[in-house]
Amino acid sequence: MSDRLNRLMPKAGWVAAVIVLLALPLYVDGFWLSAGLVAMAAAVGAVGLTLLVGAAGQLSFAHAFFLAVGAYGYACFSGEPGAATLGLGLPPALGAALAIAVTGALGLAFSPVASRLRGIYLGVASLSLVFVGQHLLHNLTGVTGGFNGRDTPMFTLAGFDVTGSEPPVTVAGVPFGATERLWYLGLVALAGAGVIARNLLRGRTGRALRMVRDSEVAAAVLGVDVRRSKATAFVVSSMFAGAAGVLSALALDRVVPDYFGLLLSVEFLAMIVIGGLGSVGGAVTGAAFVTLLPIVLARYSGVLPLVADAGSGGVDAAVLARFCYGAAVVLVILIQPDGLAGLGRRLRARLGPAVPSLQEST
Amino acid sequence: MSTLRVDEVSVRFGALVALDAVSFTVEPGTVHAVIGPNGAGKSTCLNVLSGVYRPDAGRVYLDDRELTRLRPHHIARLGIARTFQNIEVSGAETVEDNLMLGRHHLMRPRLAATAFGLPSVAREERRHRTRVREIADFLGLSAALDRPAALLPYGLRKRLELARALAMEPRLLLLDEPVAGMDGAETAEMADVILRVRTELGVTVVLVEHDMGMVTRIADRVTVLDFGRRIFDGSPAAMAADPAVVEAYLGGAPSSTKEPA
Repeated sequence: MSDRLNRLMPKAGWVAAVIVLLALPLYVDGFWLSAGLVAMAAAVGAVGLTLLVGAAGQLSFAHAFFLAVGAYGYACFSGEPGAATLGLGLPPALGAALAIAVTGALGLAFSPVASRLRGIYLGVASLSLVFVGQHLLHNLTGVTGGFNGRDTPMFTLAGFDVTGSEPPVTVAGVPFGATERLWYLGLVALAGAGVIARNLLRGRTGRALRMVRDSEVAAAVLGVDVRRSKATAFVVSSMFAGAAGVLSALALDRVVPDYFGLLLSVEFLAMIVIGGLGSVGGAVTGAAFVTLLPIVLARYSGVLPLVADAGSGGVDAAVLARFCYGAAVVLVILIQPDGLAGLGRRLRARLGPAVPSLQEST
Repeated sequence: MSTLRVDEVSVRFGALVALDAVSFTVEPGTVHAVIGPNGAGKSTCLNVLSGVYRPDAGRVYLDDRELTRLRPHHIARLGIARTFQNIEVSGAETVEDNLMLGRHHLMRPRLAATAFGLPSVAREERRHRTRVREIADFLGLSAALDRPAALLPYGLRKRLELARALAMEPRLLLLDEPVAGMDGAETAEMADVILRVRTELGVTVVLVEHDMGMVTRIADRVTVLDFGRRIFDGSPAAMAADPAVVEAYLGGAPSSTKEPA
């Protein structure tokens, strides 16, 4: 009886979470939905980065670069033709798919480097991509719009506006505008990213990546092509970043170069470390923590002590949030190296059925 | 059945000659031991055979196929599996998942199909898990399948690494000090396992070992290295009587009346 209960509990938890997320636009105002969308976009990217850093043990700072490629790629492919910035006017879904494909292709182009370097050395090499990216975003004004960036083209699917309000939809008395509609696209993207990453991590690919991380020599003599594995991890991870870029562009409505700087890459690393390296659920949780914390702090800066208004010279919400997740990273590394995911596993183990010890089971 | 032929292999690390024109042949279906004092070049030899090191001179053949220019994962795919002196298993992974890694080269590489969770991928995975459980059974690891490898006692972890190598369905198994750090009972058990691997699975075994007792008990043929040179190649009985071997191990002239064990 209690055994069955224990097996059903996690499933019930998932179902409840899905229902809450689906119903949220009915109860929560646009501000929180927008914040949630930014978090979902970040979560898609974090899931991709945890494949590379957590599973394969390869450090990368290039994530912001690949996010930029996804975001600007979508803007170019589906942007209106004839405007000041390049636009090909492709259908948005196709534009988004092409943007992800281009991100993967750029990841592949960098993979001769990514497959030969290991760990922190790749981290240093990948910094170059962020700097090249920043330079191009600022100076390729015909494509990127330069310093001021460019607008994100509207996302429509078969005549239905996902980031607009045509045709009008009202659910339970709540008019579904752009934010509400985009919320569901975000959920679909996040669910897809999570399932794909989990399938990869649980299967042949994930096992090989983790062995490469633990010992390249051991992986090689087991028949794993080490370079190919590392290249695969890099390409797949960059495609996740591309998808995250498209979603960020849609959530933010405008793409600007400053958003895709080194700080974004560092934030992504903070997300997956806080969440627990190599864990999909951890990456999502970490992404929510790192993206929502500054938004929450800013929202309540009026009532929170020690938080100054932005621009007033004191410790504003963004700075305080950075202190907080900086402290969180240190705490995780010192106390709970498996991050929030490890904490969850421990709690479940304590609540769940006791695992029989080896002696008893033999 | 395949014959492994090591032909005049030399490996140098700077001025140090780790292997100096070493040759020997491993006949199919035998247990072939490579022994020698510390620093004799035993592990280097194994690293050459598995493709981790590329020799400076000489060649290694599996039947007519030259291995010396292949990368380690290609050699693994030809059916040569190995273990390490300092156990290289993924500690956080379960025993079963560690064993599944041995199946890596037997499973089809289908990235997109895996990503989208196609049923054929799940079927393939199940098929290999069944085989992996049989192998765990063969080596007495069944009770530990769901445990993280790091929680296993030392002896079982050694055995897990051997099981993972067997999961590759190899023709040739290279073992790097399989009983290092084991007590008498564990050593006897491991010796028994190795003999069963040869007789029941028909796998040829190359064994790098320190433990002379174990070697004389289970090896069909022995190659002795000293300072990178081959000083003996023959049966274990002949080895114990060989003056060069006795000198290398005892560091002096052989006592005239030493009997073979």
